[in-house]
Amino acid sequence: MFKRLILEESATLFTLVAFITASSIFLSIGWRALRMKRPQLDRFENLPFATETPSARHDSEA
Amino acid sequence: MSDRKIILEFNDKVVRQFMLASLIWGAVGMLVGVLIAAQLNFWQLNFGTPWLTWSRLRPLHTNAVIFALVGNMMFAGVYYSTQRLVKARLASDFLSSLHFWGWQTIILAAACTLPFGLTRGKEYAELIWPINIAVALIWVVFAVNFFWTLARRREPSLYVAIWFYISTIITIAILYIVNHLSIPTSIAHSYPVFGGVQDALVQWWYGHNAVAFFLTTPILGIMYYFVPKAAGRPVYSYRLSVIHFWSLVFLYIWAGPHHLLNTALPSWLQTLGTTFSLMLWAPSWGGMLNGLLTLRGAWHKLRTDPVLKFFAAAVTFYGMATFEGPLLSIKSVSALAHYTDWIIGHVHAGALGWNGFMAAGMIYWLLPRLWNKPLHSTSLANVHFWLGTVGILLYVAAMWVSGITQGLMLNATTESGTVLAYPNFLDTLNTIRPLMLMRVIGGGLYLVGWLIMAYNVWQTVRGAVPVNGTIEVFEDAPAHDEPKSFGFVTAFINPPVLFTVFGVTCACAWMFGGDFISIAGLVGTIICAILAYAHHESRGKKWGDWYDRLLGNTLPFSVLTFLAIVAGGLIQIIPTVVAHNASSNEDRQQIPYTPLELAGRDLYVRDGCYLCHSQMIRTLVPDVLRYGDYSRLGESIYDHPYQWGSKRNGPDLARVGGKYPNVWHLRHMEDPRSISTGSNMPSFAWLLANTLDTSTLARKISVQRTLGVPYPNWTPEQIMTRVDTQAKAIAADLKTAGAYVAPEKEVIALIAYLQQMGRAEMTPPALTTAVK
Repeated sequence: MFKRLILEESATLFTLVAFITASSIFLSIGWRALRMKRPQLDRFENLPFATETPSARHDSEA
Repeated sequence: MSDRKIILEFNDKVVRQFMLASLIWGAVGMLVGVLIAAQLNFWQLNFGTPWLTWSRLRPLHTNAVIFALVGNMMFAGVYYSTQRLVKARLASDFLSSLHFWGWQTIILAAACTLPFGLTRGKEYAELIWPINIAVALIWVVFAVNFFWTLARRREPSLYVAIWFYISTIITIAILYIVNHLSIPTSIAHSYPVFGGVQDALVQWWYGHNAVAFFLTTPILGIMYYFVPKAAGRPVYSYRLSVIHFWSLVFLYIWAGPHHLLNTALPSWLQTLGTTFSLMLWAPSWGGMLNGLLTLRGAWHKLRTDPVLKFFAAAVTFYGMATFEGPLLSIKSVSALAHYTDWIIGHVHAGALGWNGFMAAGMIYWLLPRLWNKPLHSTSLANVHFWLGTVGILLYVAAMWVSGITQGLMLNATTESGTVLAYPNFLDTLNTIRPLMLMRVIGGGLYLVGWLIMAYNVWQTVRGAVPVNGTIEVFEDAPAHDEPKSFGFVTAFINPPVLFTVFGVTCACAWMFGGDFISIAGLVGTIICAILAYAHHESRGKKWGDWYDRLLGNTLPFSVLTFLAIVAGGLIQIIPTVVAHNASSNEDRQQIPYTPLELAGRDLYVRDGCYLCHSQMIRTLVPDVLRYGDYSRLGESIYDHPYQWGSKRNGPDLARVGGKYPNVWHLRHMEDPRSISTGSNMPSFAWLLANTLDTSTLARKISVQRTLGVPYPNWTPEQIMTRVDTQAKAIAADLKTAGAYVAPEKEVIALIAYLQQMGRAEMTPPALTTAVK
């Protein structure tokens, strides 16, 4: 089995399978992401602002 | 349910501790980096001491930057953002404290062992086994503290940054444990359980994904939290961040073999590594654009706000490095760039530009908030930014030019490709010396910038009172409705998971099975795809509900992330492990080392020779013309650890055995320039003075036998007799050549090792074809 994978032309199959697999992931997740509803997105993307942090005080006192 | 509100105080003490530790260790790591860069130009800068020698300090530099600078910065960012994103104080102050002090002890232990040659001989995995166990334990402490905090959270939804943190914790644990599996021979020495091509593959599965899941995913999580906070606006596209996360986590784990292109690694694995590396372009650039576009409407702030300057530059460097990475994974580009400074430039664009600048941006943002005092000097922060930027650009540009120049020279041929244009390796080395000097200047500028930040931090913190963040929360009620929780059955026995498992199983049967199983696998894969599509069309809502609930349930989310990562690793490693035996070694098989040669090999590893000299002649004409016949899979089958190397500051040594007389090696170790004019190799004169330690040799050979190396069952006396006989023969040969060295000196063992390199026995073709 191993030698066949090293030597045979069928090794090129791996690129095709890799592409199909990765494309499936991209498409599936992309589809899910696109179907996320606006209120849900708003809620998620504002999570970093749900907790107050002190205002930016990196300006010099001077 | 109580409506009573309470004030929750975050544990920001540990954030401050990690932040300051990152600052201090970062300065140490960079200082060592500048020193070793200078040593490449001025070999005398080791001052004749072993522990200041380039090959001993280089692991210290890489470990300090990766695990000390980025590690500490990562923990600070993760702890700060997680507490606020989930509205919960860190679960345990004790675990937080144990995490911090445990990690610093590990770093200190690394700094105290690596310069003394206590190493496993694998890049970024050099630490000796007792420290490795400590790393694993402290990582578990981190994981428990993190997941426990998630379990106590008051915010039901998990922001995308938390997903990145989860993937980091899980993946690093797997990678670290697998790549550090070793059998100890003493308190400070061990042999990895993997050998030869197996070890190479596991090493770069780890090495590449250490970059991916230690230097990238946690920092992306930090980017998704801190960039919106600094810009004062939400992430540009949350949808894109979702795609970014899943595709990155899925694709990264497969790309490791691109570090071994054109080597003896089976070609299907090389192809797999290249393909997945190229596909990484998409999610990486998606993430980079998402980060940059988050600054929309805030670009004007870049003029005055050093935090945003650092973040914008860091994300740009992320984009640059992740463009370059896949580019270097193309076989023909790798043929030019691999083993040269181009790779060093690529790595530093990521480490200095992406990691270093994200760290700086985060520190400048956190500093006024954690001490409730304005930054001492914005001007100094701006000076830091420009010094750092110019430093990186000088460094990276110099390394690009150096790498391409040396790669072209090493690969150049004349006479219709039959003769090397630059047969002397030193010609190529001396051509790039000015560029190596420019690298020192670039690195020096970056270090000065970092020290300015340290001064700025010191001045800000001095006299200030540390403050912990607070939040008002309901005493025992979540802020929002809890998402529906999962039971085990609902989490894992559902259409998306089952179709995925069935599909992957069938695809594996198709790829790896024999004739009948392969056809059955193909049919199964097609049927699975059709059924999954049909089911999704008719019951699509179920799929959507499952996914939405997954995002709010930490345990199933973590388990499925774990499975996604493990699948990629297993598919690469299992075939190589299964095939790693004498019948798969092409036409050559390594002869096990004699006891003296094995002792010499351990010295080779101790002194870090593999960091400058590869032992892998690639399947490329210039490599074969320069170093001899290309390396075969079977020629390193008994090497624990493998020593293929990743950089050629000096020539390849795979077939150096027998090329020169013993006295040549002796003189070369004593004073490299007496043999090779213009060499930048340091003197290893201590090898002539030190006496070889053979006290653990019997134990070492016993461990090698356990690992499958076919040594006879020698007694310790028989081993010592063989050592004495071979050492005396070499010493006598040296004496004949006019050099006197006592047989018990270390250099004798090293010469024995060097002289056997490339020695292998031919195996009959019948043996190699029998496995078809």
